[in-house]
Amino acid sequence: MSLIGKLKQRNYQIAFICLILAVLLGLWKPHVLIEGLQRACLYAVIALPMALILGIVGIINLAHGDFMMLGAYFAYWLNVYTGMDPLVAILPALLAFFLIGMASYRAIIRYVLGAPELNQLLLTFGLAMVLEQLANLIWTSRPMKLPLKYVSASATIGSFTFGTYEFIYVGAAIIVLAGLLLFLKRTSTGQAALAVGQNPRGAKLVGIHVDRTYLLIFSLSIALVGAIGAIFMTRHSIFPLVGASFTMKSFCLIAMAGIGNLMGILWCSLILGLAENFVLSFRGYAGWADILFFALIVFVIIVRARQRQVK
Amino acid sequence: MRAWRYFLYILIAIILLTLPFYTGVYLLNVIDIILIYLALALSWDMLLRSGQISFGMAGLFGVGGYTAVLLHLNAGVNPLFSIILGGLAAGVLAWVIGMAVLQLRGMYFAIVTLALAEIFRVIVRNLPDLTGGPEGTVLPSAIFSGNSTRTYWLVLAVAVVSVMASEIFRRTRIHFALTSIRNDEVVAKSSGIDVFKYLVFIFMVTSAIQGMIGGAYAHIYGFVSPEGSFSVDFTLLPIAMALLGGMHSTWGPVVGALVLGIVSEFLKLKIPYGHLLVYGLIIVIAILFFPQGIVGTLGQRFKRTGKV
Repeated sequence: MSLIGKLKQRNYQIAFICLILAVLLGLWKPHVLIEGLQRACLYAVIALPMALILGIVGIINLAHGDFMMLGAYFAYWLNVYTGMDPLVAILPALLAFFLIGMASYRAIIRYVLGAPELNQLLLTFGLAMVLEQLANLIWTSRPMKLPLKYVSASATIGSFTFGTYEFIYVGAAIIVLAGLLLFLKRTSTGQAALAVGQNPRGAKLVGIHVDRTYLLIFSLSIALVGAIGAIFMTRHSIFPLVGASFTMKSFCLIAMAGIGNLMGILWCSLILGLAENFVLSFRGYAGWADILFFALIVFVIIVRARQRQVK
Repeated sequence: MRAWRYFLYILIAIILLTLPFYTGVYLLNVIDIILIYLALALSWDMLLRSGQISFGMAGLFGVGGYTAVLLHLNAGVNPLFSIILGGLAAGVLAWVIGMAVLQLRGMYFAIVTLALAEIFRVIVRNLPDLTGGPEGTVLPSAIFSGNSTRTYWLVLAVAVVSVMASEIFRRTRIHFALTSIRNDEVVAKSSGIDVFKYLVFIFMVTSAIQGMIGGAYAHIYGFVSPEGSFSVDFTLLPIAMALLGGMHSTWGPVVGALVLGIVSEFLKLKIPYGHLLVYGLIIVIAILFFPQGIVGTLGQRFKRTGKV
């Protein structure tokens, strides 16, 4: 119980910092606030499925962002051949990537579950490389983008204009987070998955089919991230390496929030999204924005390690 | 038996040294690249023997390259000396980093090294006055004015240094210290091994080697750029080579580098965009089916049939 209490406390702390930052920013640079919010939710929605895999299956999927990239190409490809709108393509993407997730779990991931961590890291690293190069081979490295009219929707308040379409990320993040929390807390399958995440052997003892749970969670996460790819490609141009940076950022968010803390990911991504957009808003220093995530991940991991040692 | 072995070594040495006199320039270039990756694969494997996996090889490689090129260009340091200084700079940097992050183990260390490599790249890209920014810096001429024979000897020297370092670490007490740290850290600690000291030391040495290779590479091609010198290839390809050949040995990465280097040169001609796909597949297949690599698997087979 004390662990849950601590997590909650931590979430409140982070949320409080978020709120102060947001108010200050909103007064000073309103567009940083809006765009930061949208960007943060994009990060959060991509990090959530990865956190699910890490928390329950216990594997760091370094190919996570590349599945999103494949989802984006999938939606692009559907649009080119059938004229389907990418936002409608979310549904077929969910189905297709559920199957792809199942296939990759059955063919690859299952065999390294008991292997040393190093093998797991290297395997998903290799998988990421295969996916990236496959996309490179099929679609070439030329950036692609669909000419969609509705993505440039904007709203004006006073003298301040901002894009409204990007709020789709906010919606997606809330839906995915709420859906996952409901699934894990309210359904028996979700409770079983939580139990497996806590202690696979104990879960097996009480009659939970561990392998099937892993399969379900892995496929579900890949399905989600594939569908996010479809949303992502409406606004951004896509190329084979587009997902790779999101893998690192997602891992950073998970490490910061703590494994198994889904709600915390949203708060952490808010801090990072706002901070990143804040740096981006200074002319001439935009190149330094990339460093924020990486510097933070190093900082957070080292601080965490120190804390553990002191205890 | 022993005399034969020395004779074999001398023969190999003579063949390697005189290689430029009976191969073409193209073949020599291919061998250069293979040797560079061979040295990187070895240095990665040397750290792996302590159980620590680094994804930050490209970062130290790039730091070494930039240090060598900038020292040569701005301070007029002799190119060969600047390569060594590049290695030293990477080593000192690794010492500082190691002091801070070698408390970490497993995936956390791996991710931190990957992040640090990215940080170096971003820093280099954003200091245009010093490093030339996103376009990088071009040297007026490559080392030895591009003479391929002497370039080959330089690369050979770098590769030999890596092989020697790896062999020294295998034959001295450092080997036992690192192996016991990998197998069980608590046991290592209770046997009186200063785990942290050894880890910092090995991280420093392998990083210095990587920096030296980076310096040599930068001088051979005559330019450094954020995307080129910190390219993820310099992390991925050596890992694939070490995995394929077999980890925790000197000959594993060497065999892996030779096999993959030759195969990839052929593939480059067949599929120009996407020959890296094969590297990814090799990593996946090697992990799934023979995690001990070529050398490990063959060695086991020989042991079982009792031939050696």
